[in-house]
Amino acid sequence: MAHHNKEVIYGLYDDETDLMKAVKEAKELHLEIMDVYTPFPVHGLDPILGLAESRLHIAGFVYGSIGTLTAFLGMTWVFTKDWPIIFGGKPMWSVPAFIPITFELTVLFACVGMVITFYIVCGLGPGVTNDYLDDRITDDKFCLAFDTAEVDSAAVKSFLSKTGAEVNQKVL
Amino acid sequence: MNQYTFSGTAKTVTIGAMIVGVVSMLLTWFVGADDLQSRFWSNFLHNGTFFLGISMMAFFFITVCITAYAGWAAVFKRVWEAMSAYMLFGFIFMIIIALATYFHWNHLYHWADAAAVAEDPILNGKKGFLNPNWYLFGTLIIVGTWVLFGRKMRALSLAEDQDQGHDYAKHRTMRKWSAAFLPIMGFSSAAMIWQWLMSVDAHWYSTLYAWHAAVSWFVSMICLTILLLIYLKSKGLYKQVTTEHMHDLGKFLFAFSIFWTYMWFSQFMLIWYANIGEETGYFLHRREEYSFLFYANLAVNFLIPFFVLMRNDTKRKLGSLAFVAVIVFIGHWVDFFLMIKPGVKITRDGHGHADAAAHGGEAVAHGAHEAAGHGVHEAVASSFEIGYTIPGLLELGTMIGFLGLFFFVTLTALSKAPLIAKNDPYLDESLHHHT
Repeated sequence: MAHHNKEVIYGLYDDETDLMKAVKEAKELHLEIMDVYTPFPVHGLDPILGLAESRLHIAGFVYGSIGTLTAFLGMTWVFTKDWPIIFGGKPMWSVPAFIPITFELTVLFACVGMVITFYIVCGLGPGVTNDYLDDRITDDKFCLAFDTAEVDSAAVKSFLSKTGAEVNQKVL
Repeated sequence: MNQYTFSGTAKTVTIGAMIVGVVSMLLTWFVGADDLQSRFWSNFLHNGTFFLGISMMAFFFITVCITAYAGWAAVFKRVWEAMSAYMLFGFIFMIIIALATYFHWNHLYHWADAAAVAEDPILNGKKGFLNPNWYLFGTLIIVGTWVLFGRKMRALSLAEDQDQGHDYAKHRTMRKWSAAFLPIMGFSSAAMIWQWLMSVDAHWYSTLYAWHAAVSWFVSMICLTILLLIYLKSKGLYKQVTTEHMHDLGKFLFAFSIFWTYMWFSQFMLIWYANIGEETGYFLHRREEYSFLFYANLAVNFLIPFFVLMRNDTKRKLGSLAFVAVIVFIGHWVDFFLMIKPGVKITRDGHGHADAAAHGGEAVAHGAHEAAGHGVHEAVASSFEIGYTIPGLLELGTMIGFLGLFFFVTLTALSKAPLIAKNDPYLDESLHHHT
């Protein structure tokens, strides 16, 4: 996470419907939401938060296309230029025989590429430790977080307790 | 509005399409180039099986949803129920073809010729399955079973509407019928595809053929569902069918177009790679004589749905969905054309017969290996012929006629019940469906 020495006020909700309601109210009150953390993807939260559509799938298409070209051009080069071998009397450049491997490499490149991109974008990775607000947002609590630099602390605290959250404060 | 009334333009258009179809079929009969009316009968077989399969797939999908506890489609399941009402008409058409084969009014199938079978070791070996008796009784019993299941499920679904409160006894009964239908459909549809379609090329066989044809049916069914829902929504009906439902139908169109390509390619590549004479004939003939349709069919049915529907937003827009649905529907109709016509043409021209004696001798000498290939590719001279090499106006007219009848039956059935089955246990889930 890129936040350093941020004073964060956050509320923990028991239920995703309470969280959704609170997010809607916060938007109406023009409170600047820092982020929302949930243990699982909550349907319909993205449009309420006004998040732009993820561009990960565009990256996936690009990686897939690279995989297609790598496999197809690679096999073309190997079997026509580098090491031509006749298999079962077929032509050197046997397109149908290349298709399965082209397909596999397309899938492999798209998947691995998207996983790596996702890890980099989210600041995750092997050996990387991240600060987090509360243990239970990976288990059963739904968290709505505000940055004190952007909002009025007192107003946010009263808003959170009014909407039924357990209010906490932490430096990230 | 929860009730569709079938009248006005829709009725005029479907009846007009049926008239076009009848005129086209009569014209085909009278301009028929041969005594046994192969063009007429092959068009009949082509559209008869194609639309019967679409209707059966609509019913199959209802049973899949019920068995899999899938609730998303419950809001418009009446559309699929209405589509499955066509099974009865498809059944009648297939009985006509089966009777015509039984009494030798047509010559679509080489195996129906007893004299040829006696001389031909390959056909002789297959005659336990490929014979007019099995063809007639298979059609009667198997498709009859499909029709019975369809009518039973429709009756249960309509009876469920009359329930007071939440008594799901009828849904439990439907679940039993659905679970019973799935294995029956799985095995019997393959058997019927072998009989009706694959045996047009009597010497040839492929284990993937039934899958390929069945997936063609399924994709076409999804296309017609999308188009029908778009039509109904344009009439102000089915407001509860939202972008989310269309998105899921778009996903099915996308995914099963890829599955179709997978089937097509698996069948092609294994035969191409193994290069066994009795298998390659089928593809060699199509690639040489029908090269445009052969490649265009693959390109249209794969590339257009794949690239157009790959993005999230194109699956959510009715315009792009309708565009792909129309093109892919025609693409799969052409796929069936390519399955049927080349074999019918070979049988009609008697190449199978002329070679039969030679086959017999050769088969004994060289094994069954070489025999089939000859009948298919070597004996056939290159000849372009509208109605066989490419679909002509009469073929299109026949298709329009069958499509008109299909929609006439579907819309009539749809107008006979409320559009939304209010007591379906999954209705609430479907109304709040979110992808």
